[in-house]
Amino acid sequence: MTARLPALGRAHLALPVALLVGLGCLAPLAVLVIFSVFEVEDFELVPAFSGRAWAELFTTPSYWVLIGRALFYGAMTALLTGLAGYPVALALARLPAAWKGVAVVVLLTPLYTGEIVRIYAWRIVLGAEGLVNAVLEAVGLIDDPLKVLLFSPLTIGLVLLYNNLPFMVLAIWVSAEMVDRRLIEAARDLGARPISAFARVTFPLTLPGLAAGVFAVFALAAGEMLTPSLLGGTYGATAMAIIDNLFGTAFDWPLASALALALLVALFVAAVGLASLLLQTRGARAVLQRGRT
Amino acid sequence: MSRTGWTVLGLATVFLYLPIVVLAIFSFNDSDLMAFPLSGFTLKWYGELAANDAFHAGFLTSFLVAQPVGLIGMTVGLAAALALTSSNLKWRFAFLALVLLPFVVPKSVLSIAQAMIMSRIGLERGATALILAQSLVVVPFTTAMLSAVLIRLDPRLDEAARDLGATPLQSFRLVLLPQIKSALAGAFSVGVILSLADLTIAMFLAGRTQPLSLMVASEFRRELRPDLNAMQVTVLALTAVIVVLSELYRRRGRRRAARRPSAALTGQPEASS
Repeated sequence: MTARLPALGRAHLALPVALLVGLGCLAPLAVLVIFSVFEVEDFELVPAFSGRAWAELFTTPSYWVLIGRALFYGAMTALLTGLAGYPVALALARLPAAWKGVAVVVLLTPLYTGEIVRIYAWRIVLGAEGLVNAVLEAVGLIDDPLKVLLFSPLTIGLVLLYNNLPFMVLAIWVSAEMVDRRLIEAARDLGARPISAFARVTFPLTLPGLAAGVFAVFALAAGEMLTPSLLGGTYGATAMAIIDNLFGTAFDWPLASALALALLVALFVAAVGLASLLLQTRGARAVLQRGRT
Repeated sequence: MSRTGWTVLGLATVFLYLPIVVLAIFSFNDSDLMAFPLSGFTLKWYGELAANDAFHAGFLTSFLVAQPVGLIGMTVGLAAALALTSSNLKWRFAFLALVLLPFVVPKSVLSIAQAMIMSRIGLERGATALILAQSLVVVPFTTAMLSAVLIRLDPRLDEAARDLGATPLQSFRLVLLPQIKSALAGAFSVGVILSLADLTIAMFLAGRTQPLSLMVASEFRRELRPDLNAMQVTVLALTAVIVVLSELYRRRGRRRAARRPSAALTGQPEASS
C-alpha cells in the first residue's frame, strides 16, 4: 500500500491550541456574561435571570468614574510610552547588527523582575528619603523632601511608563527595522533635513508598529491593579480593585462580572479605536498594502 | 550610529535599571532604614535571608511551579507557532487573535473569572490551577518567539525529508527540532521567568500554595525591609543567570548552525541585517 494517509499537517495543530485557549480564556469570559445576569441570595449565586447587576452598574456614577479612570491610565500610558519609546526604537534600529542581540536582552530583562519587585523598588527611589529626594537635596534644589513623588498621579504615570515601555519600544522597533533605509537616504539626497525626513518618511512608515504598541500598552496599563493600589495613594482606587472586592469580600459576583465585562468592553473599544485611527493614515496604509502583495 | 542615538539608548538603560540598582545597593547597606545617605557595607541581610526557612519554602514552591509552566508554555507555543507558520492554515487572523487574547485581557479579570468558574463547579484552587493559568498567559510570548524563528526556516528542508520517505514525526525530530532547539530553550526560560515574576494570578488562584511573590507581597504591605531587598536581589540574580545562560545557548546553537553545510541551504544566520 503506497497511498499516503491523509497526513495531519501543521495547520491541524491550531485545533488543540485553540481548544486550550478557548477553554482557559474564552470560557471564563463567557461565564462572566452568564454570572452577570444571575441573582445572589444569602451569599449564594442563584441561576435566575436578573438585570439587577447591570442596572446597578448603569445607575452608579462612581463605577463610570472608575472605568473612565482605567481608560485615562491606558491612554496616558500609551502617550507616554509612545513619546519615550520612539527615539529609543529608532536608535535601536540603527545599532550595528552585533549589538542588537545584547539590546534585546537589556530591553527585556527589566520585564522579568516581578511586578512586586518593581513597585517595591520605585518606593525606594521616590520615597521621602529616597534617591530622587536625596539627590535634589544634595544639589540644593529643594530643602524639604518632595512629597508629590510618591502616592500621587505622577507616581502612577511614571511607574506605568516604566512597566510598559519595553512593549512599546519592541513594537516600534520591529517596524522601524522594516523601513527601507534607501527611502530615507533618497529623502536626504533630495534635500530634506533630518527632521523632515523623519516626519515625512520614517514616522509614517512606522505607524503600524506604533499602532500595535498603543493597542498592547493601552490594554495592559488600563487593566493594571497593583501599581495604582500600592503606589497611587488616594488616586489608587481602580475598577479592578473594586471587582476584586466585590468578588472576594462582598460575594456580589453578578456585579463583579458586570463591572469586569464593562471594563473589558470599554478597554477593547478604546484600544481598537486608537490603533485603527493610527492605521487609517496614509503611511500605515502604504505599509500594509505592501505587506499584502 | 550617531551620538544622539547612543545618548538616547544610555538614558533608556539608566531609566530601566535605576530601580533595580537602587534595590541592590540597599541590600548591602548597613541600616534598617532604606534612606540616603548610605551607612556602610554589610552582608548581614543575606545572612538573615539564608536563615529564614519561610523564604526557602516559598522559593522552592515558586521554583516547582515555574518548571511545568515553562514546559507547557513551550509546548503549546510550539504547536501554535507551527500552525501559524504553516501555509494552509485557515482563519489565520482569528487564530492569531485567539492566541494573543491572554496577553491583552487584563490578568486580574482573567484570574477572577477563572476563580469564579472553579469555585462554582467545585474545583480546588491551588498549584494545578496556578500552573495552568500561568501557562495560558505565557503562551502568547512563546508563540511570538517561536513563530519568529520558524518563519525564517527553509520549508524545502522539510519537503526534502518528506520526499525521501521520512514520516512527519521523523521529519520533525530529525530536521526541524535540531534547527529550533535553542529557540525552544529560550521559550522555556521565558515561561519560567514569567512564572517567577507573577503575582496577580497567584493572588487569585494559588489557594493554599504560597509562592515567593505572594509572601513578599504580604510583607510589603506592612513595611520595607532590607532582608526583603536581599531576597529580591537574589531572585533577580537568578533570573539574570537564566537569561544569560539561555542567550549563550542560543548563540552557540546559531554558531553551530552556521558551521553546518545545511546553513548554506537555509541561508539565514542573522536575523537583523
